[in-house]
Amino acid sequence: MLNQIVEALKKRSNLAGWTVRHVRTRGAQVYAVPQGIESQRAVDGERYIIDVLRNTSTPDGSPALGSGDASLLPGEDIGHTIDQATLVAGLVANPVHGLPGPAALPDVPLYDTDLQNDASNVMRDVMDHIRAEAAKHVDVRLTAAECFGEVHNTHLVNSRGINAEQESTQIDIEFVLHSQKGERESETFEAMTRRRVADLNVESAIEDRARYTLDSLEAEAPTSWQGPVVLRQNALAIFMAGDNLNGSVIQTLASAASKYAGFSPWEVGKPVFRSEAKGDSLTVWANRCLPFGSASDRFDAEGLPAQRIELIRDNEFVAFAAGQRYADYLQIPATGAFGNIELPAGKTPASTLLVEPYIEIVQFSWFNPDTITGDFGTEIRFGYLVQNGIRTPFKGGQLVGNYMDALADVRWSSEIGFFGSYFGPHTARFNDLKIAGQGQGG
Amino acid sequence: MTELKLPIAMAELRPVLGDIVELGMDLAPYFSVLLSSRHGLSIVVDNREERVTERAPTAGTVLSGFDGSTNFERAVGGFNREEILAATRDFIQGTPFQKYAPQAESERRGDFVTPVQIDPLELSVQEKLDRCRAVQARAKVRDARIVNVRVVYNELNEHAVFADASADLAQRVQRVNMFVIVIVIGTAGEVRYDFSAKSGSAGWEVLNWSDEEIQSVVDGALALLNAERIEPGEYRIITTPGVSGTICHESFGHGVETDMFLKERARAAHFIDKVVGSPLVNIADDPSQPGSYGSYFFDDEGHMAAPTQIVENGIFRRGITDRYSATALEIPRSANGRRQDYSRKAYARMSNTFFSPGASTLEEMIAQVAHGIFLDKWSSGMEDPQGWGIQVTCHYGHEIKGGKITDRVFAPIGITGYVPDVLQSITAVSNVLEMDGGTCGKGHKEQVPVASGGPHLLLTARLG
Repeated sequence: MLNQIVEALKKRSNLAGWTVRHVRTRGAQVYAVPQGIESQRAVDGERYIIDVLRNTSTPDGSPALGSGDASLLPGEDIGHTIDQATLVAGLVANPVHGLPGPAALPDVPLYDTDLQNDASNVMRDVMDHIRAEAAKHVDVRLTAAECFGEVHNTHLVNSRGINAEQESTQIDIEFVLHSQKGERESETFEAMTRRRVADLNVESAIEDRARYTLDSLEAEAPTSWQGPVVLRQNALAIFMAGDNLNGSVIQTLASAASKYAGFSPWEVGKPVFRSEAKGDSLTVWANRCLPFGSASDRFDAEGLPAQRIELIRDNEFVAFAAGQRYADYLQIPATGAFGNIELPAGKTPASTLLVEPYIEIVQFSWFNPDTITGDFGTEIRFGYLVQNGIRTPFKGGQLVGNYMDALADVRWSSEIGFFGSYFGPHTARFNDLKIAGQGQGG
Repeated sequence: MTELKLPIAMAELRPVLGDIVELGMDLAPYFSVLLSSRHGLSIVVDNREERVTERAPTAGTVLSGFDGSTNFERAVGGFNREEILAATRDFIQGTPFQKYAPQAESERRGDFVTPVQIDPLELSVQEKLDRCRAVQARAKVRDARIVNVRVVYNELNEHAVFADASADLAQRVQRVNMFVIVIVIGTAGEVRYDFSAKSGSAGWEVLNWSDEEIQSVVDGALALLNAERIEPGEYRIITTPGVSGTICHESFGHGVETDMFLKERARAAHFIDKVVGSPLVNIADDPSQPGSYGSYFFDDEGHMAAPTQIVENGIFRRGITDRYSATALEIPRSANGRRQDYSRKAYARMSNTFFSPGASTLEEMIAQVAHGIFLDKWSSGMEDPQGWGIQVTCHYGHEIKGGKITDRVFAPIGITGYVPDVLQSITAVSNVLEMDGGTCGKGHKEQVPVASGGPHLLLTARLG
């Protein structure tokens, strides 16, 4: 059917360009509750997504371009779908932009071979592994777990000659550990997205969460704090790369689309900080080539090849991440979709960054900074006050501040780690952050 | 009443669903079929470009077999009759169902359609684009500091057919929303923005903007150029209906989804028929509420929509359920078994969740506050059913001093607190009920359209 769509598009002389993607997914899902397996699902889907460009004109007669899109399921009417997309494209008059042409595609590792071959069994094995590891901890119980495994295949063809195919796998797991001591209950929640089972590290994830669950039983609300705050591992990854719901501040401000819309004040060659940087200098890449990165690919939805783009070098903004449209609008190179966040290793061993006293935040309720202004006021689900050699657990309180101001005064560990969509130092010490806890009044 | 017109492939498959259910019930103690099609349109118009795009459509068939302990499902893309029949045979023969006698359910039959005055499916794309352009044109000229005005229109067209041994149901649910986002720049180059939204299970008739409403968004963005960070601490606050609704959603919405009871993740499970808030607190979830963004006629498990009283005069009465958790917990079902789309399982999810209105006027409430904060607008929230913590982020709030709202603005403001403490602190409830539409996740995924709302509330909470 893809060939039929391509042939039909080639015959449309009123189109300035087109892209068609054939997307197939298949997967398996397993859900557990304390009583056993709640649900098992097998899922598949297939569709064709057509994007077309059409020459139009502005009200004053200047050349312009319109775009339109439409999807169809196997067996649906190809001509009617192309008509729909073409009709929409004819209604819009945007500045003219192009489509990417053929280019060499990097060989980015994206899939787990076992999952490709048998998603159902692999997901059942992952669930069994989670349950077995949790069962090793006598004082905590696994009260919920979800395992999703999907295989995605995308075949993209466009009017400039791109004809590319890629296959990737994605695993999403969640689990909840619960503990109880008298009247007090606690739980910790973990969610991970990875490309392959080997990167889940279920054993260490459950080990860590079991410890936090037990410590959480002793946790009280924190007092207010201003000073060093340490983020490690997953908490740092979420701070740097955002989550499924909220992209990162850097991703928004370094996006050519944001720049074009007036959301981003960043300028190439200018500092990214509004005040003097006091900590380690900041260098950041947007990297779609990261092996098994959860935001990696060989090519993006426009067909642009994966790249590793230096966004910020030593606190100075270097380049915007730009799809073809916004690259053409801003007359900058097209880099494609954003991808994963990568930082270089810092200069300081993590152990040296843990100079007491400090606060370590293990888990946010939801770190959701305003991605335009960078301001945040986010509840802390669980953390530790570390002083005099004692780690005192706490829960509650709000981390309050501004994202870029925080990055202007941070020291990065020399040890690095891979956390799905973040690759970089696994520990960061923010030298002067504020936690609103007990003891202040309005 | 608008006539229900199903997508052709769905309409063609519907007559054989009885046969598929019969086939499924040869081996599965309970068997159902859901046909689900969700598509939509997005239009974005701003100062620099326009985009008209299809919202990523989903269309597929869910075959569900339940044996009392596990819910087995096969989800197949599309509505091809032969493929669905083959998948049903393969599914039931390959699934190890245990013996189980499901509870008999009442007969449910009918076709349902969201009542609309200006049907989005009857308007051309050109007409919708022109309407968005008109709103954008009215906003962008209002102040020289505006660098961009973005108008975002979304329509979601949902069609569903559900069949089991005692149900033959079909519905079309039509949802629309529109955002106006104003971006301004200050003298030091700082970028600030404000937004407002309208939404409903309705047509274009709910997307009219007055000049005052548009000016209010511009004023809000400009005021943020001078906003301060609030000194963290405990404050007397008054919440607008949108903020009230978000508190409600995150506390006695997520906190009473009974799948969370089953997973031992909800503290509310220990509080049935106990006091959880001031006597002024009444909370309900109602998918049958006319016009609200989270409404529907039956849920994704074929249960007919009806209101659920969650909190009554400060006492927690019951939660909202999906089939599995209601069965396992042996409690009555409510119509809250919802899926993101055919590719995801059903969970207990909210629909339209709200504090019921009280007797006070807003003016009376403001007059009671010597020093506090009027929380104008919410931007996000996150649940914590086990810890019963609240995290609600407000885009901004105004100072209240001496019983009057001042021009002093704080942004952003986070509200945190322990749910019963926050609800116990409510001392006045206004006499209005307004609902805000939005999208709700279960944790960080499983997005479904919902509404939340209520009246203004006067309460005490920690801000930061």
